[in-house]
Amino acid sequence: MKKLILISGLILMVSCQEKSKLDPNINPFFQDWTTPYEVPPFMDIKNEDYMPAFKKGMEENLAEIETIIKNTDDPTFANTIEELERTGKLLSKVQRVFSNLASSNTNPKLQELQRELSPMLSAHYDKIVLNEDLFNRVEEIWNNRESANLSKEQQKLLKDTRKQFVRSGALLNDSQKKQITEINSKISELSTEFGQNLLAETNGFELILNKSDLDGLSDAVISAASEAASQKMDQAESEDEKEKYKDKYVFTPHRTSMYPFLTESTRRDLREKLYNSYVMRGDNANETDNNDIAAQMAKLRAERANIMGYKTHADFILEENMLKTPDEVYDLLIQLWKPALKRAKAEVADMQAVADSEGKDFKIAAWDWWHYSEKVRKDKYDLDEAAIRPYLSLDNVIQGVFNTTNKLWGLNFKEIFDIDSYHPDARIWEVTDKDGSHLAIFIGDYFTRSNKRGGAWMSSFKGQSNLDGRERPIVVNVCNFPAPVGDNPSLLSFENAVTLFHEFGHAMHGILTDVTYGSMAGTSGPRDFIELPSQLLEHWVSEPEVLKSFATHYETGETIPDELIEKLLKAGKFNQGFINTEYLAASLLDMDWHTLSLQDAKNISNNFENNSMNKIGLIDEIAPRYRSTYFAHIFSGGYSSGYYSYVHAAVLDSDAFEAFKEAGDVFDPELSASLRKNIYEKGSTEEAMDLYVNFRGRKPIIEPLLKVRGLDGSSD
Amino acid sequence: MKQILFLGLFFISFTANSHNPEKLVISEIERGQLNFENETIAAEYSAALKRQRIRRLSAMSWSKKIYIFIKAGFEHIIPQGLDHILFVLGLFFSTLKLRSLILQVTAFTFAHSITLALAALGFVKLQLSVVEPLIFLSIVWVAFENTFFKKTTKWRPLVVFTFGLLHGLGFATLLTQYGLPKDNFISLLLAFNVGVEFGQFAVLLVAFILIRLIYLKTEYKNQLKIPASILIGCTGLFWFIESLI
Repeated sequence: MKKLILISGLILMVSCQEKSKLDPNINPFFQDWTTPYEVPPFMDIKNEDYMPAFKKGMEENLAEIETIIKNTDDPTFANTIEELERTGKLLSKVQRVFSNLASSNTNPKLQELQRELSPMLSAHYDKIVLNEDLFNRVEEIWNNRESANLSKEQQKLLKDTRKQFVRSGALLNDSQKKQITEINSKISELSTEFGQNLLAETNGFELILNKSDLDGLSDAVISAASEAASQKMDQAESEDEKEKYKDKYVFTPHRTSMYPFLTESTRRDLREKLYNSYVMRGDNANETDNNDIAAQMAKLRAERANIMGYKTHADFILEENMLKTPDEVYDLLIQLWKPALKRAKAEVADMQAVADSEGKDFKIAAWDWWHYSEKVRKDKYDLDEAAIRPYLSLDNVIQGVFNTTNKLWGLNFKEIFDIDSYHPDARIWEVTDKDGSHLAIFIGDYFTRSNKRGGAWMSSFKGQSNLDGRERPIVVNVCNFPAPVGDNPSLLSFENAVTLFHEFGHAMHGILTDVTYGSMAGTSGPRDFIELPSQLLEHWVSEPEVLKSFATHYETGETIPDELIEKLLKAGKFNQGFINTEYLAASLLDMDWHTLSLQDAKNISNNFENNSMNKIGLIDEIAPRYRSTYFAHIFSGGYSSGYYSYVHAAVLDSDAFEAFKEAGDVFDPELSASLRKNIYEKGSTEEAMDLYVNFRGRKPIIEPLLKVRGLDGSSD
Repeated sequence: MKQILFLGLFFISFTANSHNPEKLVISEIERGQLNFENETIAAEYSAALKRQRIRRLSAMSWSKKIYIFIKAGFEHIIPQGLDHILFVLGLFFSTLKLRSLILQVTAFTFAHSITLALAALGFVKLQLSVVEPLIFLSIVWVAFENTFFKKTTKWRPLVVFTFGLLHGLGFATLLTQYGLPKDNFISLLLAFNVGVEFGQFAVLLVAFILIRLIYLKTEYKNQLKIPASILIGCTGLFWFIESLI
């Protein structure tokens, strides 16, 4: 009790927060936010405030749309498209806060609200996008666009806005619309079922081992497996079931359980068993088999594409992307495929040599990959992760990324303490430009905690727009780095540091953006482009010059030694043949599923995946990163004909960074300025490929990526 | 318009457009599970608060930090440290002789400074749940001595010194929970201690002035000695029992 009093006394003194000055009797979303830079008044927002704000936000939004439609003047860009940009302010205000906090600082109430809101919101947006009167106005402006004297940015906005309606079926007749709705709801059911089956299949297998089966496993892996067994015991309902797990060790086809086992276990028979349980998920001819669902979805998607006027589903999806046609995607993937496969074969040979030298009498198989590649790694690429962490305290890495953007674009960051954030670990910085003007607010929420989702992401609490005066954004990065223990700093792995730079790259896209219309700001571009700004920034963290500028030992202050940097960079090329081959195989599989004509989709053979993989010559030692029956990205997520995007963005970022390498200065002022002007500021105001060509002077090529990943023959 | 549509999508697949790929090329859609363990969340929250305070302090000027810690030390006595106030008053009522009082207060100050420093530096560690009842007992003991012993024993300064060690631990557990920035550790520790001394001195000064105002003569303080000490002792005893429950 007293303890609390003392602490609260000190807190009051140290915090000296500005009060938000909001009226506590009125919903904070219905008031103007007078906080500095309009940071949401987090401390004033209560769980109960969301729903009324959402409801009123939707109502207002629909009323605004009604006003636009009722306008008796002829439809013009200004009275329709631009007005649309101004609609939905309240809804966006509450939605941004809600969707951020529901992921980064959630509670059971927010989770419940999320379930409740999701159908309400999709119904709301349907009302707008399916509004025929509204579309008619847009279409009229579209038809008269030649004579309207629109700027380039306005033309793009008009095109994008219209496309939203068209892609939702605005040009279809009523029976077609009905068909689309039916197909959509079937697809949505199937995709849920696919996900549920996958979950059941992943949870449905367990390798229960005795003490005598643990050969080769490390203490950490053994204790995790024993912990898994005792958890199973706790959950068990009958005594018999409890007995099953007593003093046993459990491994499952979840990757976090499987990979350590495949890496360490010297029991080849058990590796094979566990590996097969993983790759056969959804393919066991039982009631949770996903083969038929995948085939049905492919057929429905082809059907929908046909109705919409596209040859295949991939054509329909890619229209929105940077690579516009299936041919362009195949072309890229096949170009990368050959060197990746070549490298993978070399890796198999390396592993076979190790196995032979051990006197083993077998040919390396898929379930041997982790075990033997680990031996190769120790031999050729050994790197002690623990030796690097002391140089990568979180504060150092943050300073490193700040310094990097300072050298590139002259940005400055100042931590602010007089604004309340949504959690004390979510730190707030003001970002200023090289001339000292305010650019954005950046919130960095880096530590893992139990009311935060896993993973790492970027988002924003406020967008950027210049439509009605200069409005600057509030951008957030959320990560899951280990929280500090006691008074020690949080020490990151190199992978964590790369993640931090990655997310900060997205943040830069959101912070530097400078466009007129908010809907085209920041990260609004196509999926195969928006990973460019993030992945590009990762290259700097691997530059020895940059690393040395911030990676100092948290106790001794010593700068990271060259030898360690060298090992670190070399380790990045380990196993790239495998990683790229399994990824590219999955990407090609995704494309094959979604470039089926309706006719072909109706007659999918049982060997579809096999044929597809044989066509490209995938070796037996590697399975696609995801086989069809557990390819959740494309059958229960939003990545259909989009799984290639990661490598496409990687081609872009390697090629873009190569420009700095060619210039001989990773902070070359002219290039930095051009990068900012042509990529980071532009949002989606131009076609992504045009933006890229404006920066690079030509289209991207794959060679720099091959070099980065050691697929150019240098690792052989 | 596009914005709201975008937001709609954004809502559903909230991070789809800006997730972090697991490695360079690979991403998982399955994000981590959430588990709501309120205790964990509360513990995480207070650890985060401490980090935030330390960051805030680090960003302040040196003089501001010193001021804050002196003030914190002072407030830890007045108004928040009723237990320490009572203990000091117990000392105040124990004797008529200024010399004896000064001796006791000095012994107390000296002792709690030692343990405060030792504990804050991490050399000594004791749970507040152990220290706190003992502090309350020390109040009871001082009051007991005042009430039943005709004259203060010559061991009194030593006893007070021992109690001072306890009180210092009490200050320290709270201070370390609060968190001291590493770069100004010693100076802020000293500042906190200085604040505590000011608070203690203020208590004595006020008590002294009040007695003078009421009785005009310091000698009459003796008439108050037993009733005041009984009151102090009972309060201490009550706290002690409460702290054990």
